[in-house]
Amino acid sequence: MARSLLGIQPATAIPLRAQTATTPRLAGAQLEARLRKKRSAAYIRAVTQLDAGGHVHSPASVQALIEAIRQELPDVQIDALPLGIVSRCYLGAPYQVHTLDCTGSIIQHYKTFEPLPSLLERARSVALHPGYAFVEVYSNRLIVVGESGQTAFIDL
Amino acid sequence: MSTERIIQVADLSLILGSLRSLQSDIGTVSGQVDVVGSNLAQTRAELSRLEQAFNEFVQSDLRAKELALAETRQVKIRQEIENKFGQYAIVRRQATGILQASDIQLVRQETIRNATEELMLSTPRYWLAPALVALAAWLTDNRALAERALAEATRRDDEKTALFFSLIGRRAGRSEVSRIWLDRYFGLQNPYSLDRQTVVMIDALANGVFNTDAALLCIKRIGSWIEELAQQAGFAQTQRGQWGDALRSKTPNFNHAQRYGHLSRFSPAWNDLNAALNAVSMQSIVLEHFQDIFQGEIKTASSVLIAVDNLLTSLVSHFDDEELPLRRTEQLNQLIIEEAGDKRAAQQRFDLQSKAQEERVDFTQLLTNAAMHPELSHVTRATQRLAVAHSRDWIVDAHSDVTAQIRQQAPQTIHLSIEDWQGQTAQGDNETELQDSLRQHIERRKQQALEQAKLGLKDWGLIALGVVLLLMSLGNGMIVFVMGLAALGWAFLSYRQVQQRRKQIERDFALLQEQSAQALRACLAETVEWRRDWAMRDAVAAEVTSLLESISPEQHLLAGHNTARRVMPAAAAQAA
Repeated sequence: MARSLLGIQPATAIPLRAQTATTPRLAGAQLEARLRKKRSAAYIRAVTQLDAGGHVHSPASVQALIEAIRQELPDVQIDALPLGIVSRCYLGAPYQVHTLDCTGSIIQHYKTFEPLPSLLERARSVALHPGYAFVEVYSNRLIVVGESGQTAFIDL
Repeated sequence: MSTERIIQVADLSLILGSLRSLQSDIGTVSGQVDVVGSNLAQTRAELSRLEQAFNEFVQSDLRAKELALAETRQVKIRQEIENKFGQYAIVRRQATGILQASDIQLVRQETIRNATEELMLSTPRYWLAPALVALAAWLTDNRALAERALAEATRRDDEKTALFFSLIGRRAGRSEVSRIWLDRYFGLQNPYSLDRQTVVMIDALANGVFNTDAALLCIKRIGSWIEELAQQAGFAQTQRGQWGDALRSKTPNFNHAQRYGHLSRFSPAWNDLNAALNAVSMQSIVLEHFQDIFQGEIKTASSVLIAVDNLLTSLVSHFDDEELPLRRTEQLNQLIIEEAGDKRAAQQRFDLQSKAQEERVDFTQLLTNAAMHPELSHVTRATQRLAVAHSRDWIVDAHSDVTAQIRQQAPQTIHLSIEDWQGQTAQGDNETELQDSLRQHIERRKQQALEQAKLGLKDWGLIALGVVLLLMSLGNGMIVFVMGLAALGWAFLSYRQVQQRRKQIERDFALLQEQSAQALRACLAETVEWRRDWAMRDAVAAEVTSLLESISPEQHLLAGHNTARRVMPAAAAQAA
């Protein structure tokens, strides 16, 4: 039985060869062009409403969010998807930002001066900027997403 | 027993006395060590201040020397340019001189021919000399000489000669001649590696100098160049990169320490704060730059003759590659002078601008240089508009990226260090908490200092001795009594001194507390001000984006000197 990665059940009915033929692996400039595309309103809504249910989240809601990321970037391979998302927290003081760790499927809220995991910490300052909705964290870059879905790259 | 007898005989009073004396000496030394320790801490603080002042002095001295050196070098380089290429200036002046003289027919053809032949002799290797001989031969209707001279001019520099005669053809109203030379010029071009003078062609197009046919040809060619370049892998990425560099080259290098006196003194991260302010200041400079391009007045030449003459002057004056190494050094020295001797900052700016001084660039880099460094590319405002309009989407993306990077690098936490107290603030709104922490820290230090200020072992010894002597004096008379009183008096004096020292410590720490609290309050006020200042400068980014998004390429071709109606973009699309 294949392991379920990021909560997605592998489509066992489709043979692997057919799958690779329909979704060619994006890399380099093509991957960058794909990631630069404007994000959809539904996706932005799904991420920005993380606060709505308070600071305790059910595993189902986390899985739903990860599924939303997968649907937003369906042609991007799993290893090129964001490792996490950092966003401004609307729970109010003392909470400042919250993070979604895609690898561990955890949503966590952080207080001011409370350090984030090292990979996500770099996104903190830009996530707090009112001009952006949230930040997608990749291994080699940050992609900041505006309310309108417009993206900007920060290469690390 | 013999052992017992020895013990009875031994006199230990001397050893005991020595031990007491040793103990007293240790007490004295311990007190002295405390004093030395406190002096050392003070010396260290003073030394640190001295080191800072010395470093500042060394830095400013280095800058002054670099500035003086750059100014001297600048003069030398200009002299060298004058010595090496001075004779070219005469040839350059004659290019438009001949054309204007023949327009009004004031100079005999013989004189023109003689003058150009002399130039040919005095400037070997220079492409313009045979080009002028060809021009003079053309004016005097000497076909054989014109062809020979043209052959030599094209051998020396084919591209410049083609562009030169294309513009001359346009000036003379000979559209066929102009088109043939322009065709030849385009035939020589490789969009991946263009010579810098291609910008003159774009200048001519943007200023409406070419007639409709030639303009159509240019637009078509520009379109195909961009298309060809766009097929390269990672093209858009490269464009965004080069526009990002061009935008960053507008970052100022200003020291804001005067405005933020306390933060610059008490924040160890002041350099980051200063750099963040400079980085975000780029937004207003870029906005001003683009506003100047799109809202500034375009000075159109009153006739096509003047317009072409301006382009010819530009073509013959600014694009000779032989001069380029010297021009590059001149540019670096100029930047060192502008940065008041800060060589590192000047080198950084030079690196970002250096592509504008390269011999060969690709077409899109040429557009970037024209738009962002008009002073180095020698282009008019109309060309800048055209270049920005053609690159709009890349500039918008590059600007978003650079803006996000600047925002990411802005410090979120500002660390403060007052005396040896450390604290941190984000927005400058945690004053109560920081003041409490500072007060507790100073109180702790005060308690430590007060603990040091107490009666020593020697003083307690004196008191004990005084008491014993007084008790002994009851049976032994006056002398012992006086000795006891003296010992107690001595101890009392020490006690008074300790009390005074404690009062002094209380006073010193009260003063330190007051001054530190004031410094902290000022730092927090400056933090709030810094955040406001940064946010205000950052807000300009939205204006830059909306200005860039309002630009379209079609708006930025001047109708210029053509009598035909402008339907070029549509016609170009059809032709393509």
